Amino acid sequence: QLTPSSFLRIGQLSNVDLNEDIHELETEVPRQRPNEIPHNEKLLSLKYESLDYDNSENQLFLEEERRINHAAFRTVEIKRWVICAMIGILTGLVACFIDIVVENLAGLKYRVVKDNIDKFTAKGGLSFSLLLWATLNASVVMVGSLIVAFIEPVAAGSGIPQIKCYLNGVKIPHVVRLKTLVIKVCGVILSVVGGLAVGKEGPMIHSGSVIAAGISQGRSTSLKRDFKIFEYFRRDTEKRDFVSAGAAAGVSAAFGAPVGGVLFSLEEGASFWNQFLTWRIFFASMISTFTLNSVLSVYHGNVWDLSSPGLINFGRFDSEKMGYTIQEIPIFIFMGVVGGILGALFNALNYWLTMFRIRYIHRPCLQVVEAMLVAAVTATVGFVMIYCSRDCQPIQGSSVAYPLQLFCADGEYNSMATAFFNTPEKSVVNLFHDPPGSYNPMTLGMFTLMYFFLACWTYGLTVSAGVFIPSLLIGAAWGRLFGISLSYLTKGSIWADPGKYALMGAAAQLGGIVRMTLSLTVIMMEATGNVTYGFPIMLVLMTAKIVGDYFVEGLYDMHIQLQSVPFLHWEAPVTSHSLTAREVMSTPVTCLRRIERVGTVVDILSDTSSNHNGFPVVESNPDTTQVAGLRGLILRSQLIVLLKHKVFVERANLNLVQRRLKLKDFRDAYPRFPPIQSIHVSQDERECMIDLSEFMNPSPYTVPQEASLPRVFKLFRALGLRHLVVVDNRNEVVGMVTRKDLARYRLGKEGLEELSLAQT
Amino acid sequence: CLRRALLPALALSLALLGLVAAAGPRQTPVLELAEELWSAGLPGDLPELEPECRSLLAAFAEGSAALTGCLGRRARPVRLCQGCHGHYRRLLAQYSSIARAVGNSSESHNCAKSILTSDRLQIVVTLSEFFNETWEAANCANCLKNNSEGLSNSTEEFLDLFNKSLTCFEHNLQGQAIDLSPNNYTEVCKNCNETYTKLNDLYNHLQRMNRQGGESVHSAHLCIDVEDAMNITRKLWSRTFNCSLPCSDTVPVIAVSSFILFLPIVFYLSSFLHSKQKKRILILPKRIQSNANLVNIQEKYS
Repeated sequence: QLTPSSFLRIGQLSNVDLNEDIHELETEVPRQRPNEIPHNEKLLSLKYESLDYDNSENQLFLEEERRINHAAFRTVEIKRWVICAMIGILTGLVACFIDIVVENLAGLKYRVVKDNIDKFTAKGGLSFSLLLWATLNASVVMVGSLIVAFIEPVAAGSGIPQIKCYLNGVKIPHVVRLKTLVIKVCGVILSVVGGLAVGKEGPMIHSGSVIAAGISQGRSTSLKRDFKIFEYFRRDTEKRDFVSAGAAAGVSAAFGAPVGGVLFSLEEGASFWNQFLTWRIFFASMISTFTLNSVLSVYHGNVWDLSSPGLINFGRFDSEKMGYTIQEIPIFIFMGVVGGILGALFNALNYWLTMFRIRYIHRPCLQVVEAMLVAAVTATVGFVMIYCSRDCQPIQGSSVAYPLQLFCADGEYNSMATAFFNTPEKSVVNLFHDPPGSYNPMTLGMFTLMYFFLACWTYGLTVSAGVFIPSLLIGAAWGRLFGISLSYLTKGSIWADPGKYALMGAAAQLGGIVRMTLSLTVIMMEATGNVTYGFPIMLVLMTAKIVGDYFVEGLYDMHIQLQSVPFLHWEAPVTSHSLTAREVMSTPVTCLRRIERVGTVVDILSDTSSNHNGFPVVESNPDTTQVAGLRGLILRSQLIVLLKHKVFVERANLNLVQRRLKLKDFRDAYPRFPPIQSIHVSQDERECMIDLSEFMNPSPYTVPQEASLPRVFKLFRALGLRHLVVVDNRNEVVGMVTRKDLARYRLGKEGLEELSLAQT
Repeated sequence: CLRRALLPALALSLALLGLVAAAGPRQTPVLELAEELWSAGLPGDLPELEPECRSLLAAFAEGSAALTGCLGRRARPVRLCQGCHGHYRRLLAQYSSIARAVGNSSESHNCAKSILTSDRLQIVVTLSEFFNETWEAANCANCLKNNSEGLSNSTEEFLDLFNKSLTCFEHNLQGQAIDLSPNNYTEVCKNCNETYTKLNDLYNHLQRMNRQGGESVHSAHLCIDVEDAMNITRKLWSRTFNCSLPCSDTVPVIAVSSFILFLPIVFYLSSFLHSKQKKRILILPKRIQSNANLVNIQEKYS
């Protein structure tokens, strides 16, 4: 229980200077020395802040909203649609660009290596071909990794965890910048061309999101260009909606799955959802896949054909040959179990690897070297597998892009080479559609094993690359193997077409790794273009998720946790009802008075030890004994804009202020508010007063101290809050609940556990 | 669609015919009846074709029989395009003359209609479709001249080389006893290597040319004769004679690959040993320091 004296102290705190505040704190609570620990998963980083999804409803905002009449609102609505169309078009174009460049560069690389291998097979000296292949891969990946490691580290990986966090309300620095987009696109191209076990589909989601965030703002801070359009959307709330549309457009361009894209946004991201938003997002998705389709069809020379809706095309699944019967459903479910176990294994291995990487391989040059090594090893493994394989298939009637003969008889090709000596997308499609008998079981088994470890090793490198395609490929390989052995067991029954099992295996493996449910089912269904597969795919994904969740969590969630991001799940941990807001909140709170001295504000803002972002505003009462009730909430960004424009009471009295501050001034500074250090306040000005009542949010959300954690959580999560003020029954500020206070409670293996805050 | 439109007309005319036949004397042959009707100038379909059409049909039948025979005889080893292109061309001409032919009388009596579309089976169309499809699947157009009269120059060249290499194989095998061990074909390999390499190169060259020229999937193949000839030769060469023995240099490959595979181990070990482990600085949260939290948490699971 709080003693009356501590109440008094909190009441006083709002009035005392900050230096004294810290002083007082130190005397009361003996500060422990900041202890250092190795990185682990049970940390929350201070690096991440929340986004302001809740509009600051101050007087300026209300005035502006009142000025906008009905017709103007309609214009805003039309602008939203225009932006969504532009997001779709640009995302589609970026996808086209990636696809075309990858196709050409990878084609060039494979031709060079193939010619070299053909030459040395006859003459001897294949070790040179191996060196050539490994060096080519390593050097291409080196460039890709260099730009990521040194220019924009946030572009590493698939970007899906980052977008998930963004839509959850966590501000990941640099995640939606133009620079990130450029690095991401180049990085993806280079890592796929570099022959890593990666795909270019996952990063499309990130690219789409960046495009959306960029367009909706009508300007680029990186390029220092302001087009003076869409100024209404320059705030986190609006941006978030567009980013979810961008993510959907990205999925839709990647897989040719517009509905899947919308559901992806729904499942992974947008916690804030309504019918009109869904409809707009769907529009953006459709435009995106249509753009990709039409541009690619022009590129491939068959205009108006519209046959390539996505970056990866699973090809047509003929329903007569590939249909399934009801007896096969238990088999599919069994495949889901296998996929769940393999996915869990994948995630567990990747977890240890990522932990090692965070702890030991944190210098950019080391990261580049690691990526190069992985590229070289990937090439070597591929080469050795091809070299050792004696599985030869007749070249005639097959559609192999780069047939490697190696030790096969003339007129035959090495069938291991179709799997390794190809971009992963093509290999997946080959596994789905090659006629039965194109691969022998030994080849598939070895391929699965090797690719599993390669993909696991590759994910988390400092290159931008996705995990979708490698997972599909692993799954397709073992699924096909499963199908072949099934038809051995049943003495070649007609229904055991291996391509069908390859598809189910791919779904199971992907589901086991990323643990997406609804959206993945729809994506797979749309990518195969066969609605009848919906049911088995759903069953497979469900089983894979259930089985996988029993062991470890999904890859994306795991990486979010390893990055120490304060991520809020849908619900508070189930066993947290006994905790109340009083135990959860941070206290004491640094408060500001309604009319505050400029010097105090500057000091509070420049204090590096307490990097707070929101400050409760209390009644400025000269009498310290009286209760200072909560009057509002003001954000750091607003204070900085106020200081920058020198909106001081004294200046207003002297008629020095040219004009009243408008909401536009706050928007122009968004999203990169200058740091407090860049704002100069002279000694005289420090003595001025600043009136916050016009700018603060006069109706912040508050909770009483007795509110339970789930209740606080629900309010916080549902409204997308950033600060939640805890007050007592006299409306005095007692504490403040922020994202980190809530995210630190997590349901671990041994029940509810608490994460610690750490500087990273 | 056309067929469906014709069906009622057909049924109507048959019914009419039956009616007429029933009305007429029982022993009268249908043919006579038809001629009778014809002379009377009655409208409707007749059981017998006009003579011109009949001859066209007969020509088509003979042509297709000849082509079928040709295709069957030249199925193995595949010589379809070389041997049957004349037959195929003739059949095409016959078919198009049927399709174009207009009988001497009014439009409703032209041969195309009565031969091609007046029944459900439409055997002439089916036959012609079958031949066309076979021809396309074989991709014979690829090794014929543009006007499909005779083989193209490159094909001739290829077949020449092919025959040369076959004779070379035969020639060199004759000197050897039949019961030699299968690996002992060194003579052949040595002597025919030049021809075989030329043939192989020419084939690869043709294939490349073809790929560059055509864009669709179908033209990625050469014509079946050339493909099959090359296939036979390659099989003989590398399977039967075992001539293409690639130099397998396993030792250097193992050395290089184990070197590359060894690098990551070195890398990870060295970074584990030498790199400073990244430490996180714990921040003490500003909270009410009651032990209530921990107690609560522990209570749950005690």
